[in-house]
Amino acid sequence: MRDGSTLFRGPNPRAADGLILLLIIAIAVIAAFPLVWMVLSSLKTPAESMQTPPVWFPATPNLSAYREVAEVIDAQRSFWNSFLIATTTTAGILVTSLMAGYAFAKYQFRGRDTLFAVMIATMFLPPIVTLIPLYRLVTYMGFNASLIGVIVPNLANAFGIFLMRQFIAGVPDELIDAARVDGASELRIVFSVVAPAVVPAIAALALFAFVYHWNTYLWPLTVLQGNSADYPIVLSLGRLLSYNRGAMNTGLVMAGATLAVLPPLVLFVFLQRFFVDSIVSSGVKG
Amino acid sequence: MRRSHFGSPWLMLTPAISLISVFILVPIVLTVWLSFHDWSTQTGFGAARFVGLRNYEDLFGPISVGRDFRRAFLNTAVYTVLSVVIILPLSVLFGLLVHQTRVAGGQVLRTILFSTYMVPMIAVALVWSKLYSPTEGPINQILSWIGIGPQPWLSSPDTALFSLVILNVWQQIGYFTVLVIAGLTQIPLSLYEAARIDGANRMQEFFGITLPLLRRTLLFSSVIAVINAVQVFEPVVLITQGGPANSTNVLTFHIRRVGIERAQGGLGSAMAVMLMLSLIVIIVLIFAMARQKEER
Repeated sequence: MRDGSTLFRGPNPRAADGLILLLIIAIAVIAAFPLVWMVLSSLKTPAESMQTPPVWFPATPNLSAYREVAEVIDAQRSFWNSFLIATTTTAGILVTSLMAGYAFAKYQFRGRDTLFAVMIATMFLPPIVTLIPLYRLVTYMGFNASLIGVIVPNLANAFGIFLMRQFIAGVPDELIDAARVDGASELRIVFSVVAPAVVPAIAALALFAFVYHWNTYLWPLTVLQGNSADYPIVLSLGRLLSYNRGAMNTGLVMAGATLAVLPPLVLFVFLQRFFVDSIVSSGVKG
Repeated sequence: MRRSHFGSPWLMLTPAISLISVFILVPIVLTVWLSFHDWSTQTGFGAARFVGLRNYEDLFGPISVGRDFRRAFLNTAVYTVLSVVIILPLSVLFGLLVHQTRVAGGQVLRTILFSTYMVPMIAVALVWSKLYSPTEGPINQILSWIGIGPQPWLSSPDTALFSLVILNVWQQIGYFTVLVIAGLTQIPLSLYEAARIDGANRMQEFFGITLPLLRRTLLFSSVIAVINAVQVFEPVVLITQGGPANSTNVLTFHIRRVGIERAQGGLGSAMAVMLMLSLIVIIVLIFAMARQKEER
């Protein structure tokens, strides 16, 4: 027996087990309910969506709401924009985090710990604090209302550097020394010696970054003002809501939401081990 | 530890540090600088006019600018405190349920809980706005089955903010549950065995071993929960627009509305500085609490 159950084991273990199981089922049902409702609603007819009390299961599930999504917003374009934002941002974060993480883990230099502390402090900063001047800065650079403006400010972040430093610190120095003796450059060492040794951490960071930047809303909304052609799917969802206010659009909105949820959810289901492992290591060692 | 004669660390550090400097550190300095200026977000930084503490005086003054800001600040504080107070105990309960192996289903529960954390907040907001619908929503229907009358949820100033808290807890709880599981795996089994030999009951074990040894995890959790909570934005901008009657006007929404949409960059920056200072105070307090307990 593991210790997690200690709280629940009463004088009568069998009754306690039943209670635990019941609790697990109840929590799982409540947690899953909103997502199940979302999918069910996307399959209803507009009339079913408007009924009071609500209809739980569509009589004849139909995909017309999904077709309508494609008519109201350029769903294909939105998905492509989301994909472009999430993948390029993730790639940038991986490169910058690997390099900086390597330097912080394996180099000795003056001011290293201070510099690291300053970087880490930015991890605790909500984006709204810098939103106003950042918007102006990006306008100065000519990136306003463009995907470049969405992507470039996010190509490096403290969490990535922190995670990479934690894992690269565990790579044996002998491995790096051997590569140096062979005459490998430091850049080559980072990408062909160190990186292969920390693949699980890279996978975790990639997944986190991809999901975060697929989902993120505040910055794209601010920087893409007036350029709805470049909207990622999360911004296009907002347009679905305002397209036809009222109960009539419930199926439409739920179909759009279902589509937007799919990529991060599918990634998670297949790769959840990496997510969980990285939370464990970043949370506990931090 | 490597010496730097193998190459300058700056080759490795320049990409990350220059990006973080330009896009985070410089904007922090600019936010503080702009907070002492009258500046339209539509104009260059050069057009900013120094006004001393005027923006801050406005925030704390009797005019509507001040009243709106203080309401947004209070709403954010209430939302944050409620979120943390609900998330922490639930994450411990859920963490124990997932971590135990006597009864099957823990891993499934973890997967379901954590998958809600993957859902974009915008989709969460859309779905919950329908769940909360007073007439067509399933929540009031379910409540009626157990004899509870219809609740107004997002449509009443008394319940709207708390409705957003529930939504937040639903989305975030999986992340904090995993943090607790990580903490639980670090507790040595021998402690429980020793306690059992001493005749401790389950409650004594929980309050004497489990909870004290989860303290670091829970302190870290509370910092992250606070940082996440003050970022509440999507449900407000999309569903409530800060209403009804300003009851869901929160800082991220309000600062963006003032500083970007109304282009009052100086005033918005002063609000951002107040938010940043409050966060620094809270985080320092949480860490100080941690240190104090540790020294005892």
